[in-house]
Amino acid sequence: MPPNFSHALTLALLPEAMLLGTALLSVLVALIRPGLRPDIHRWIACIGLVGSLAACGLVLLGLRHVPSGVAITVWDGGFVMDSFALFIAILACVTALLACLITDSAVRTIPSRSGAFYGLILVATAAVEAIGAEREMTTLFVSLAVLLVCLVALGALVKTNPRGAVSSFEHLIEGSVGLAAVLYGLALLYGITRSTDLAALAGYTPSASGATAIAVTLIVLGLCGTLGVFPLRQWVGRVATDVPAGASAFIISMSVIAGGAALARVTVAGLGPEISIWRWLVPIVAAVAIGHAAFSALREATVSRLIGQLVSAQAALLLLGLLAFGTGSRGLPADGMSAFLSGLGITAIATVAAFGVLAMLQVAGIGDTIEDVRGLGHRSAPAALLLTVAVATLGGVPPLAGFLSRVLLISSAADTHYGWLAVVAVGATVLTLIAAVRFVATLYSDAGDEVPFTLGATPPVSRIVAGAACLAGVALVVLIQPLLAVATAGAGTLR
Amino acid sequence: MSVILSTIVWAPLLFALVALFLPERDAEQRSRVRTIGLAGAGASFFVTTFFAILGQIGLGQGGGLASAYQENHTWFWNFLFQAHYDLVADGITLPLLVVVTTIFGVAMFHSWKIHERVRLYVILVLLLETAVNGVLCSSDFVLFAAFWGLLLVPMYLLIRIWGGDGARRAAAWFAGFHALSLALIIATVAIIVVEAGAQSSDMGADLATFSVTAETVGFWLSFIAFAIAMAIFPVHTWMLEAQSKASAGVATILSGTMLLLGAYGMMRISLVVFPVPAHYYSFAIIGLAVVGAFWGSIGALRQDELRRFIGYMNVAQMSLVLLAIGAQTSVALVGAVLLLAGQGFGSAMLTLVSGAIEERTRTTSIRAMGGLVTQAPRLAGFWMVAAASVIGVPLLAGFTGDFMVFAGSFPEHRIATVLVMSSIIVTTGGLLWVANRVFFGPVRDQFARVHDVTLLDLTVLIPLVAAVVLFGVRAGAVVPVIANGVLEITTRITGG
Repeated sequence: MPPNFSHALTLALLPEAMLLGTALLSVLVALIRPGLRPDIHRWIACIGLVGSLAACGLVLLGLRHVPSGVAITVWDGGFVMDSFALFIAILACVTALLACLITDSAVRTIPSRSGAFYGLILVATAAVEAIGAEREMTTLFVSLAVLLVCLVALGALVKTNPRGAVSSFEHLIEGSVGLAAVLYGLALLYGITRSTDLAALAGYTPSASGATAIAVTLIVLGLCGTLGVFPLRQWVGRVATDVPAGASAFIISMSVIAGGAALARVTVAGLGPEISIWRWLVPIVAAVAIGHAAFSALREATVSRLIGQLVSAQAALLLLGLLAFGTGSRGLPADGMSAFLSGLGITAIATVAAFGVLAMLQVAGIGDTIEDVRGLGHRSAPAALLLTVAVATLGGVPPLAGFLSRVLLISSAADTHYGWLAVVAVGATVLTLIAAVRFVATLYSDAGDEVPFTLGATPPVSRIVAGAACLAGVALVVLIQPLLAVATAGAGTLR
Repeated sequence: MSVILSTIVWAPLLFALVALFLPERDAEQRSRVRTIGLAGAGASFFVTTFFAILGQIGLGQGGGLASAYQENHTWFWNFLFQAHYDLVADGITLPLLVVVTTIFGVAMFHSWKIHERVRLYVILVLLLETAVNGVLCSSDFVLFAAFWGLLLVPMYLLIRIWGGDGARRAAAWFAGFHALSLALIIATVAIIVVEAGAQSSDMGADLATFSVTAETVGFWLSFIAFAIAMAIFPVHTWMLEAQSKASAGVATILSGTMLLLGAYGMMRISLVVFPVPAHYYSFAIIGLAVVGAFWGSIGALRQDELRRFIGYMNVAQMSLVLLAIGAQTSVALVGAVLLLAGQGFGSAMLTLVSGAIEERTRTTSIRAMGGLVTQAPRLAGFWMVAAASVIGVPLLAGFTGDFMVFAGSFPEHRIATVLVMSSIIVTTGGLLWVANRVFFGPVRDQFARVHDVTLLDLTVLIPLVAAVVLFGVRAGAVVPVIANGVLEITTRITGG
């Protein structure tokens, strides 16, 4: 027990504790009753996630009376339960809950290991929640490492073909390279500042030092790997293709949330405007990443990789919001972080939606190449409709939530003197639009082998959840204000 | 709170959702789907027409238009700008809404000629109508961009799935150009919300604090975006491809509504939001109009494909509208709106007639046709009415528009107006030449069994003829309504 254990610490760690406790329970149940049905483990995991959400609700209740937006600070400020951390925790829980409910097809192939599978999901979610709350370099790195291990293990656990294991290994290598870069960067920063406190970075670091530049570059590039954007984004395509869709929904969406949260904590909250190196590095990375993902999306021949590229493009666009903090061109507050957090939410939900539909297609025996889904509209109108909405949301097709998210991000970047980056983003949006529209046309225009199929093989819960996640792409257009309000509250405490 | 405009915009989508759950296994079920589609388009049409008439009466009694047809809800506000679900129908919007809802009604009737994948066709047309009506009614830049983007997927699929040979390429052209147009509109919106200082994306907000650079860039971005949609020379190629390769029903929607939206956007955004550069660069706009008018009319003469010929006619017609936009006088702009209505109906009718001819003759080549008037006199009659409207024969929809555009443009740009006017002579010659080649001359043996219009053809063509005549005969009643809407544009241009 830590020496400064208190009620505050209990409350701050309650969301993570709920998840870790349930993960332990899930593993124990699996050990005691090895033959238990996978869906029992799934429901146990769901209870844990709902419990974590409830714990977040408790913290939120306390937060209502705190004008600063910082509910609990423990471990000398290293772990902060503020509105940003709460936003990330709630988003992670909701995304994990949705992903859990569509994992049926993935777990069906490994009934004996379903306890471990859901245990890993819970631990990974706890790691993401922790990343959102970390303001301390060492624990941030540890959380990132735990997340990577869990996500790689998840991919390896549910492998249905030899490529699954290989792609998980490649994910591990790429993730490790990214983490090594982050670690080396953090170590350099520690060497310069003699502190592992992210919040104190700006005060200590001389802004023009070469070592600082190297450190910041390594950290940003490493975390871009977690976010799933260039240069360390090959894993997204591999996981999307080789891991069953139910599991890849969780792996990719969680990694994007974690990468986004960590980047926000390190750059906006840590380095801030004082250390300006990241503010010229991130735009370059963003421009290359957006363009690379958008061009790649145009070339894809498989549905899963196309979705992966669109997720990557959408994640890269989030970097625009990250840059647009502080004051805008007219002296008013720039709302880039609101755009960033709402975009993060939309991306996560849309990712689950897209892979959820893909999971249903996999269960129905539909292949993964775009040729396999040619004329899908003839064969299963609901499947085609859901896939259309999911891919269109990720591709930024108007008027869906992905489009609205892009409008917010682009306008916030234009407001903070990143007009050229906004132009790149607009150009990339055209490319992703064309990729998405071309794919949608394939679903409807050309008849395939005309053998109708239904989504009946997928359990009703998974179908409902995947459908609801797709509908969220439409609903969030109307309900963007509540999401923006929450995102604005979440962004408020970042600096 | 009035929900008239929401009804006009969303009714087609609601009916599309109903159609989504209907089966289409046999002819009866397919007919039911079409009926639902017709009901959706019809609902929008009747509400629009009813309130357009009421609007006209209100205007006659001294009432304003904009206040009567306005809905405003704040969409989101926790951001650097506020966005609104803001729908407005003023004097420009109302007549154009009548035009587009009529054309969609006609297109829905035309769906009885579609026998494959009827449900998808009906849903896409209704979705497209929602987008078109939304663009016309939006009074918020973000909402406008969202509806503008919504045009992309349904129109792309409609061209690609139900088009003939080469439809895939035509759809790709459309998608590429429309995506570019959307991107330019997004960039324009970003400039407006960031630079205008209104902290709102409301089109009615005070946007007077632009820097010269922002205003110039914003103007050209929006101008190019809408020029693409208008199919103005030199960004007209997508329309020629789509017009010639899409099915007749889809091409009707394309030439009757999509081009109209481009011109509407140019008037509503390029002129109103950026009046200074619009005035400064009016010579460039006029220059494009002159080149486009001749490019379109002379290009039409060189065509052998019937629908490509109509496509070039559209380019020439849109150049007349561009002339009015360049002139920026009240009379010219009122004429431009009337011309858009006339062009919409006329072009839609020409496209439908050409589709009917192609169905009967199994050819698209003008030179391969001839003597059809013997077998299909009514079809020839419809072509002549449409051609007369496009040319600007008195008492038809095109006449008042043509006259007002020239009357309004001449004092500002005399030489350009005379040049554009002279292009009408070429257009007239082209239309008469085609009529002569297709309908008159010796009867060809292979067309001996060609039949005249069917009941379905009459159902789709008669409403358009009625509209062309009504807009021509009752132009005096429509002009004050349009003038009411144009007043806002001219006030902004003159700095009032």
